[in-house]
Amino acid sequence: MWKNLRHWLDVRIGLDGIIQTQVIDYRIPKNTNIFYTLGFLAVIAYILQAITGIVLLIYYVPHPDYAFSSVQETIMTKVPYGWLFREMHTVGSNLLILIVMLHMITVFLMGNYKRPRELTWLGGGLLLIITVIFGFSGYLLPWNQLSYWATTVVTSMPTAFPLIGEPIARILRGGDHVTGMTLSRFFALHVAILPPIFLTLVGIHLFLINRTGISATPFGKIDDEQRPLTEYKRKSYPEGYPYYPSFFQKQMYMMMAYFAIMFFIITFLPTLNFPDAVNSPADPLRTPAEIKPAWYLLAPYQLMKIIPNKFFGIMLQLILLIVFLIWPFLDTQKEKNVMKRPILRGVFIFLLAAWVVLLYWGRS
Amino acid sequence: MRYLILSVLMIFMLPSWGTAGYKQEFESEFMTKTWAGVQVEENVCISCHASDKMKPEYREITEAWQASWHAQNNISCEKCHGGDPKDAVLAMSRERGFVGSPQPKNVPEFCGKCHIAIVTKFLESGHGKALMSGHKAPNCVTCHGSHNIQKASISIISEQLCTKCHTYERAKVMKQALFLTESKIEELEHNLEGLKREGIYPVTDERNLFSTEAEFRALFHTVDVNLVKDRTDEFTSRLDKIDNNIQATYRELKFRKNFAAFLMLTFAGMGIVVFLLNQTKD
Amino acid sequence: MKRRRFLKVILAFLGSITVFSFVFSILKFLTALPTRAADVQKLVIRKSEVPLGEATNIIYQNAPAVLINRADKGYIAFLRTCTHLGCLVEFSKIRQKLICPCHAGTYDLDGSVESGPPPKPLIAIPLKIEGDNIILG
Repeated sequence: MWKNLRHWLDVRIGLDGIIQTQVIDYRIPKNTNIFYTLGFLAVIAYILQAITGIVLLIYYVPHPDYAFSSVQETIMTKVPYGWLFREMHTVGSNLLILIVMLHMITVFLMGNYKRPRELTWLGGGLLLIITVIFGFSGYLLPWNQLSYWATTVVTSMPTAFPLIGEPIARILRGGDHVTGMTLSRFFALHVAILPPIFLTLVGIHLFLINRTGISATPFGKIDDEQRPLTEYKRKSYPEGYPYYPSFFQKQMYMMMAYFAIMFFIITFLPTLNFPDAVNSPADPLRTPAEIKPAWYLLAPYQLMKIIPNKFFGIMLQLILLIVFLIWPFLDTQKEKNVMKRPILRGVFIFLLAAWVVLLYWGRS
Repeated sequence: MRYLILSVLMIFMLPSWGTAGYKQEFESEFMTKTWAGVQVEENVCISCHASDKMKPEYREITEAWQASWHAQNNISCEKCHGGDPKDAVLAMSRERGFVGSPQPKNVPEFCGKCHIAIVTKFLESGHGKALMSGHKAPNCVTCHGSHNIQKASISIISEQLCTKCHTYERAKVMKQALFLTESKIEELEHNLEGLKREGIYPVTDERNLFSTEAEFRALFHTVDVNLVKDRTDEFTSRLDKIDNNIQATYRELKFRKNFAAFLMLTFAGMGIVVFLLNQTKD
Repeated sequence: MKRRRFLKVILAFLGSITVFSFVFSILKFLTALPTRAADVQKLVIRKSEVPLGEATNIIYQNAPAVLINRADKGYIAFLRTCTHLGCLVEFSKIRQKLICPCHAGTYDLDGSVESGPPPKPLIAIPLKIEGDNIILG
């Protein structure tokens, strides 16, 4: 039965060929480490977000009069297991951003962004931005005090730009203030506008990884890619081990660990992402005591707060962002191992530390 | 090429140094600007009464109100006193329905504009009848206070307050009759708050509780102990129903925790098994 | 080899109970909110019980409700739960309005808010008139 089905598919789509080239002949370099599974983990996390998101969509009502009760009353209180999917979606979104960040940090430290993988890095950077926009647009949808005021604060950040700032903020909010109009457009952004953009970028990112081949320089052990880049050549590892089963198993247990951590948080810290302000509906007349954006936006938010000149503050962030995105084009040093480059290493550690400090500063 | 890009970025940054800005200005313009959809409209009653031109005893009114249960529920001056809070000139004109501080006899009518059920019962009571027939008798503010009114509770019935007019004995009997139901109400309120913090939105139970509580307190205003005692059973059964729902919700929360823990364990188990498989070579 | 087989059996077991848990919870999720269709009982009230311009308090599906015979627009029924904090509204014959005893929320006889704190109109109950009977539900 199973054999027949396989044969049936093979004569039509060449299944055996795909398995041979993509699974068995797809060799993984021997010196890969556990961080090589983070990209795969991010894909799994995204798929989980998509599934739980669609499940939540069944009961969610994107209207200011009903959004709060559809989330808090229908999904969290009345519908059986509604809490499970909402918790998975919320905890998942935070873990996802964490994984994407970790993925980028390790790729950077291993120098895997370097020639010929500049485009892969750029695509990854854009994906991080899309992910943050996903998080920030999803934040408003429950229409509670926290989401309302956090959105109010974040959408006011572009106003730091002279001239174009106010129009940008107006476009984001669909008016002068956060209203039902904002809810409608954030909902559209979250469920309809971002997903196709996101899928296209993921497609490009994966295509590039496949075309270029895996970069086998975990923390710069051996680097045989010093050849001058004159013609296309896919990097392959004839002496490596096959993707299946060994590397596949590594990916699988990382995935199980991801789920176990997610359910650990849901079991023991169910209100981690739901402070008190989440439990009352959005009230434009009453500002809660502490308004803060989500943790991943705290560092830029705090930076805006401490830099006296607001235009300078936002320009600094924009430039940091652009440098971050096009870094592989700016960095032409041959040495791949970041650890052997004291200046770059210093700058990197400084930026990471600054990010963490700003995050903690913003929290208090 | 890369130096070109970097220098273009640098030049792009330069104008920002030029636009002078100070932290104070930044904070006043950017951080504290109200972005809320509807701005709270300027209330001339408050702005005028809070100003230095007022006599201190008038200024205290706004302070007292701001700390009150009414303020927390957005009930401001004009809801009770009438008048026009948007028009500084005619704010206190009789044509706009302004009522200053009412005579003791008119207080029930004054508060009863909103608290209909309570006033009806109060006027049936000994307190109410005495007040209306022109005797010295308590009105609403005697016990509840006026501008700094707080959320009502059983602690208002106290020896200190009641003995202003009569002995405490009968009031004590009343307090005892109320005590169990009132403490049940308080406990349920507390539990519902707790459930809300857990992400549950028990809106139906909240409403049932408020409705029961309001009816029970209206009944109390007859100051008729026998009436309260007669109907206590009815209120207890209504409160018990709400309590059952709350207990069921707590059980549900416990189930959720167990279910998530179960999934955590299966995933952790699978992770360990796959890891062992990975370590076991053929 | 034996050990691998053992591990695979455990994996299949754990995997299937996990998949089953999710399938079960999603099915529960989709079939949620049991409709009361089965125990919806139509309530029949005779016209003579509600004279013109008056109202009668009834219990409809365990919830307090009111049936009003309006002078100009015929019969209408509402749940009596006030949309503000859930007290029970009372019909006032003199004012031809529904008034909440707790905070003086006032509704007109179409159920819409006329004054006071209620944020939403009263919930109406569908009704039909057949001969001398009014059928609610």
